[in-house]
Amino acid sequence: MRPRSDLTPAASKPLHKGWIIALFVLILLAAFVLSLSLGSVSIPMRQVFGILSGKPAFKESWKTIVLDFRLTKALTAVLTGAALSVAGLQMQTLFRNPLADPFILGINSGASLGVALAVLAIGTTGSILLAGISTAGDLGLALAASIGAGLVLGLILLVGRRVKSPITLLILGLMFGYAASALTSLLIYFSLPERIQAYTVWSYGSFSGVTWSQLRVMAPVILAGLVLTVFLPKPLNALLLGEEYARSMGVNTRLTRVLILLSASILAGTVTAFCGPIGFIGVAVPHLCRNLLRSADHKLLLPAVGILGAALALLADAIAQLPGSQYVLPINVVTSLFGAPFVVWVIIQQRKGRTSFSV
Amino acid sequence: MKKTTRILLLLLVLVLTACSAISAGEAPAKESGQTELRVFPIRFAQHFTLEYADGYKKLTVTQPWAGATEALTYLLVPRGLPAPADAGNALVIETPVRTFVSMSTTYYPFLEKIGKLDALVGVDDATYAYNPQVRARAADGSLALVGGGAGGGSVNVEKLLELNPDLIMTSASGSPDLDAHPKLLEAGLPVVINADYLEQSPLGRAEWGIFIAAFFDLEEAASQDFDALVQRYEAAKKLTQGLEDKVSVFTNTDYQGTWYVPGGESYAALLLKDAGADYIFADQPGYGAAPLAFEAVFDAAKDADYWLNVGFAADLDSLLAMDARYAEFKAFAQGSVYNYNARVTETGGSDYFESGVANPDVILKDLIRIFYPDLLPGYELYYYQQLS
Repeated sequence: MRPRSDLTPAASKPLHKGWIIALFVLILLAAFVLSLSLGSVSIPMRQVFGILSGKPAFKESWKTIVLDFRLTKALTAVLTGAALSVAGLQMQTLFRNPLADPFILGINSGASLGVALAVLAIGTTGSILLAGISTAGDLGLALAASIGAGLVLGLILLVGRRVKSPITLLILGLMFGYAASALTSLLIYFSLPERIQAYTVWSYGSFSGVTWSQLRVMAPVILAGLVLTVFLPKPLNALLLGEEYARSMGVNTRLTRVLILLSASILAGTVTAFCGPIGFIGVAVPHLCRNLLRSADHKLLLPAVGILGAALALLADAIAQLPGSQYVLPINVVTSLFGAPFVVWVIIQQRKGRTSFSV
Repeated sequence: MKKTTRILLLLLVLVLTACSAISAGEAPAKESGQTELRVFPIRFAQHFTLEYADGYKKLTVTQPWAGATEALTYLLVPRGLPAPADAGNALVIETPVRTFVSMSTTYYPFLEKIGKLDALVGVDDATYAYNPQVRARAADGSLALVGGGAGGGSVNVEKLLELNPDLIMTSASGSPDLDAHPKLLEAGLPVVINADYLEQSPLGRAEWGIFIAAFFDLEEAASQDFDALVQRYEAAKKLTQGLEDKVSVFTNTDYQGTWYVPGGESYAALLLKDAGADYIFADQPGYGAAPLAFEAVFDAAKDADYWLNVGFAADLDSLLAMDARYAEFKAFAQGSVYNYNARVTETGGSDYFESGVANPDVILKDLIRIFYPDLLPGYELYYYQQLS
């Protein structure tokens, strides 16, 4: 383990770190503008700003494209990136495991099962029950995914209160995930090819499918999940040193754990419900931030991770849109394909032989 | 009288021996591949040929799956006659086949057309079947369900061995992990690959009815039936050619920001072209579907006249519920949205996907009726319906 000196960042260069955060905010703003300006249809940036400020557009369809397609997509990317990165950071700290991601407890397997039931189970037993979800359309998929994710979350919280060790919780979460995945596979096994396609496309993940009416539900829930984390930096810092140590410092570990699980699950579950399972960001961004900031202090890390996560999600989406072409790539392909080499580079540059995960 | 009979008999014997001597003399030529094969005329399909040789028919699937480099050959030998000596790797099938296992719903209409739906003894899965007879027989247990079709799941080899059909027909992807046929061949079952889905022309796909009929020795009847279909198709197509004012059309729906658009040379695009429509994405290259961004489709198709093939949507409200942005399309606002779901079952069977392949003339007429109702007065939509 590394020395704990950087747990008290006020002592080390606070100004320097403040600048890095300011840089993150700048990147976020630039990425947001980029995301609004780039797309399959080429619209001049001046027109984009004109449309945003309410001026009449050169072409009527441009207004729809900017306001109903790109703005929703950009906002979704911001919320998603922030939510997944914060949830990922919390999971990595709670389980003191560098490989933990927001979905490690099976949240997305639960969400996938919900969607698979809604999309695939037409014509099989139980379809009457689910007919309501399917016709709910717009919010239907999200509702189905939320129910699935919520079910897993409930199980985890139930167990989380009784189980002592986070490792046991981790294993149980994995098991829930396997069980949910198995049920999903079973549904796919007995489904129509066209419906499997609908499910497969959902599982690729996307920010573009979210409409304003969905955002009205998604945004408040994610913001609530993020607000929950305001109470968590101190206990999270203490948890880094182990539950025993945290308890000796007067942290109510049981309550903390429930709060962390609740917040992370709401964040990850909501994202998966609306955008499909989005990989990579939740694992990579916390590592990136720890390395760039050279800090493990959650007072600093939580906001930094949220801002950088949002920015990177926007950039990934900009690449996925293949500006200038009419085609789009699945977002998960871009995050992993472009993100992985980048993270490797940063970690090698920053670490230069130090242990890679120092909690 | 008796004498003349004897002489006649003698002559007959002489002629017969002469004939067999000639055919015996020809045999070596056949082995070296020199036999003249009479080619059965196939007009539109690109991926199979049918030839007649002495004592058997040679059916060749020139491309059994996308990217296949080798053809598959089937020798169709009348039951009781010996298999040709030069069969090589070809699979020998005794004809006419009496029992048939179909691994795809799209073969049912072809069987029905030649009156051989009775020969059907097994199907992969009846859940998504539309044909009422198939559904009824699956329900009363007289049709074996063997799995392994496109719907996923592995094929039940034991059940098939017990069923011991004369023929199993399936399609293949070329990937051993996904295909059922390698396992079936290993078990010694007579499995034949049908590659109709590789045909891009609607008539070419329908011509595969002759492929199926050949196993029942009914290719002549199937061919006549197909010729009539071609005439109906061409007659309908003729109505729309030379139209000045063409309607513009786009198809499919968005999936989470990705809109799969059929290429300009695809089956769907060719039908739209023959129906006299101006397909918005006709310039998209290729046969497959291109993943376009929603905004690209929106930009191109916003003012299009018609919107077709909207997946599972049963009415305009459920379409709007999927994505509120659909309301911005002119075709949606005008209610000019049509789907191929006029004939579906509760369990997900769709007649468009089942018998549409065998009846491209009906699909074409549906499209013409949608785009130019005046050209087909009195015609009622068969596969399609207008969403309300």
